[in-house]
Amino acid sequence: MRPPIPPIPPRKSQYGIDPSLVKKRVCELPGMTSVLLKDLFPDLPEVIYPGGEGVAAVRRATEEALRKVDMSRIKPEHSVNILASHHGFTLLGGEPYAEMLKTIKDVVEARTGCKNIRLRAGVGLRFRETEEYIKRFGLDEYFHGKAAGVAPIDEGIPIETEIGTLYGIKKVYDADWIIHAHNSDVREVHFHRQVDRAVKPFGMSYARIETRSTYHQNLGPRAANFTARAIFDSPFVQSKFAFACFLMVAPNGIMGVDADNDLYALNDRVTYLGCRYYGKMMTLFGEIDECIVALDFPCPVVYVFSAGVIYANFAGANTDLYDLDNPLPGYTWYTEAFYGKRGRPLLDDVPPLNPAIKMCVHNYAWTGYPSAFFSEHIPTVVVGWEQAELFNRDPQNLNYMKHAVVAETTEAAMEFAYKVTGTRKVLIFDGAIGGINLSEPLAEFLLKKAPAVSERVENELLPKWLRQRGVDLSHLKQ
Amino acid sequence: MKVVNLLAVVEAEKCKGCRTCERVCPVLAIKVVNRKAVVDAARCRGCAACEQRCPDYAITMAKRDEPVVVAVSTEGLDYAQVVDLCRRARLHPEQIVCYCTATRAEEVAAAILRGARSPEEVSFMTGARTGCKVECIQPILRLLEAAGVTPAPPKGGWQWYGRTPTVWEIPEGVKQKYTGRGFYFDEDIKLLNRVIEAPLQGGSDS
Ligand code: SF4
Ligand code: SF4
Repeated sequence: MRPPIPPIPPRKSQYGIDPSLVKKRVCELPGMTSVLLKDLFPDLPEVIYPGGEGVAAVRRATEEALRKVDMSRIKPEHSVNILASHHGFTLLGGEPYAEMLKTIKDVVEARTGCKNIRLRAGVGLRFRETEEYIKRFGLDEYFHGKAAGVAPIDEGIPIETEIGTLYGIKKVYDADWIIHAHNSDVREVHFHRQVDRAVKPFGMSYARIETRSTYHQNLGPRAANFTARAIFDSPFVQSKFAFACFLMVAPNGIMGVDADNDLYALNDRVTYLGCRYYGKMMTLFGEIDECIVALDFPCPVVYVFSAGVIYANFAGANTDLYDLDNPLPGYTWYTEAFYGKRGRPLLDDVPPLNPAIKMCVHNYAWTGYPSAFFSEHIPTVVVGWEQAELFNRDPQNLNYMKHAVVAETTEAAMEFAYKVTGTRKVLIFDGAIGGINLSEPLAEFLLKKAPAVSERVENELLPKWLRQRGVDLSHLKQ
Repeated sequence: MKVVNLLAVVEAEKCKGCRTCERVCPVLAIKVVNRKAVVDAARCRGCAACEQRCPDYAITMAKRDEPVVVAVSTEGLDYAQVVDLCRRARLHPEQIVCYCTATRAEEVAAAILRGARSPEEVSFMTGARTGCKVECIQPILRLLEAAGVTPAPPKGGWQWYGRTPTVWEIPEGVKQKYTGRGFYFDEDIKLLNRVIEAPLQGGSDS
C-alpha cells in the first residue's frame, strides 16, 4: 500500500484555529494509506498542475486560452473589473487561481492598453475570506491597490431580469467591463446540481443577500440556479460582460485554462467535464457502505474535500446528485429546511443524510458556514477545546457543539470512532492532491469497485445527466 | 430562538465614523454619534456583520458574561393564525427559515402577530438573520407581506432592498424558454406545495 499523500497544511485565518493547534493530521495515524485517482479511473485527464513547471504552466495556459478571446471592445480609457471568488483560492493551495488572475490582468493590459484594471473578489459566508487571500497572494500590490474583497451585505444595486428585480453588489459592477474569472471545480453539486455551474457566481458571490436568499429559499432545489442565469442574461450585465476565463479543474488537478466570450459555450464544457470526472468520483463514493469520515482541511465543515468531492456532497452521496429526477439530496438547504420540530422530515420521501457515515471526526475545519445540521444528524467528535470554543463563538454555528462531543487529541477521537462504529474504513477529507488519503480497508474497497462504476457512468449515467441538462455537444468539440 | 453570546465592541481610536457598520447592522444596534460608532448593547444580537465589514478593523466581538436568550413563543397566540400566515407566505410553519439559528417560520410569524413590522424588528425579536446575515431575508419579507405589512428599507442603509420573485411567480414564457436546460420549475412548485401542506409534527423543538 502507498504512503499517505501530504495533506494541504493548516492555514492561518480568523475562521479557523491557529495552525499550531493542529498537532496531528489524520493521515499520519497508523493504518492510513492513499490511492491515486488515476489508479481508480485511468481515463482521468492529464493535468498541468501539479507538475514540474509549477504555476508557470497556469500562466502559459491562461495566455494561450485568452488568445482566442475578443477584447476589442475594451478601450485604453475604460475600466475593467476582474471578478473572482473565494473558492478558487481553496484549490490546490490557491496559487494556480491567483496566477490565473494575475495573468488575465497582464494580458488585458497588454492587448487593450487599458490600465484601470481592478480585482473584485466575492465571498461565501466569510466576509473577510478573500481579503485574507488578497494579502496572502500579493494581489493588492499586483493590482496597484485596486484589489478588494466584496461581501453580499455591501451596498447593492437593482438588476432588472426577466423574472423581476434581483440585486447585485455595487462594487462588482462599478466598471465599464467585467471579466468572469472562475473555475470548473464542481463543489456544491447539492445546490447547483451541475446546472449552469459556470454562471453560478452571478447569483452568489457577485450577488446581494436578496438574490442569494432567492436562490436558497424562493425557487426550490432544482430551479434555484436560475437566479444566476436571470442576472447574467439581464441587459445590464450583458452590457458589461467582456468574457470568462476559467481554471479547468478535475478531481486530480488542473487540466488547463479555458476562456470564451460566450459563457454558455464554456458552461457546456464545464458541465460535461463536471458530470464525467466528478460524477464518477461521487458515484464511487456513493458505493461506500460504511465509514468514518475525517475532516482535516482549512475551510468550513461542508467544504473540506477529498478527490474533489466536498463533505456536504459525500453526506448526500446516498442519492445520485447529478440525476435531476431526484428532487432533493440528503443535504441541501431546502432539505434542511424541511425537518420539522420533532427532528423528522416533513415529507416521507426526504432522503436521510448518507447512512454510510457512521461517525465524523472533525480534526480541523473552519467556522463560517452553518453546519449544525451535520453534527445533529451525524455523530461528530471535534478535536480540541479551542476548536469547540471557536464554533461556540461563531454566530453561524452556535448550535454545532450542542450535538458534538470533544476529544482532546486526534488519536483519542479516532480510537473512540473505531470502538463505537466497529468499522475500520476511514475516508479523510484533507485535500490530498492527486489522490485520496484513507484507511487500508477502504482503499481496497474503492479499488475493487471503481472499474464497474466507471463503466456505469460512461454508458448509463453520463448520457442521462447530459440529456437532462440539454448540453450542446457541438460546444464540446471546440 | 437564539442565545446571543457575543457583543460588538468598538475601539473608538480606530473608528473613522464611515457608517458602514450602521448600514449593515440587521437590528439597527450600532450608530455613529459624534463621528464614532456606538453600540446599543441591549439591542446587539452578536451577528458580527459590523465587525466583518468595518474597513478599519475597529470592531471586535466580545463574549457576553450573561448570554441573552431571544425567542418569540407561539404560546398565547391562536396557532391557527400562525399556520394561516405561514401558508399564505407559502411556508410550512415548522420549516426552518434561518439556517444559522434554526428559526422556524412559525416563530417569525409569531413575531409579526406580536407586532413586528420590519425585518429589523423580526431579527431583534427572534434572532433570525443574525447568523450568516445572508440567506433568510426573503422568507422574512414574504411573511411580512403575507401579513399585509409593507416595510421600507432603513433609510440610507444596506440592510435589504426588496422582496424578489418566488418559483410560483416565474412567468410561463420563461419556463417554456428554458425547458430542457435542467430547470425544474413546475416540479419544484409541486414539491414545495407538498411541504406547505404537510402535517404538523408539533411538540418541542428538537
Ligand atoms: S464601520 Fe468601523 S470605522 Fe466605520 S463607523 Fe463603524 S466602527 Fe467606525
Ligand atoms: S447586531 Fe450585529 S451588526 Fe449590529 S451591532 Fe451587533 S454585531 Fe454589530
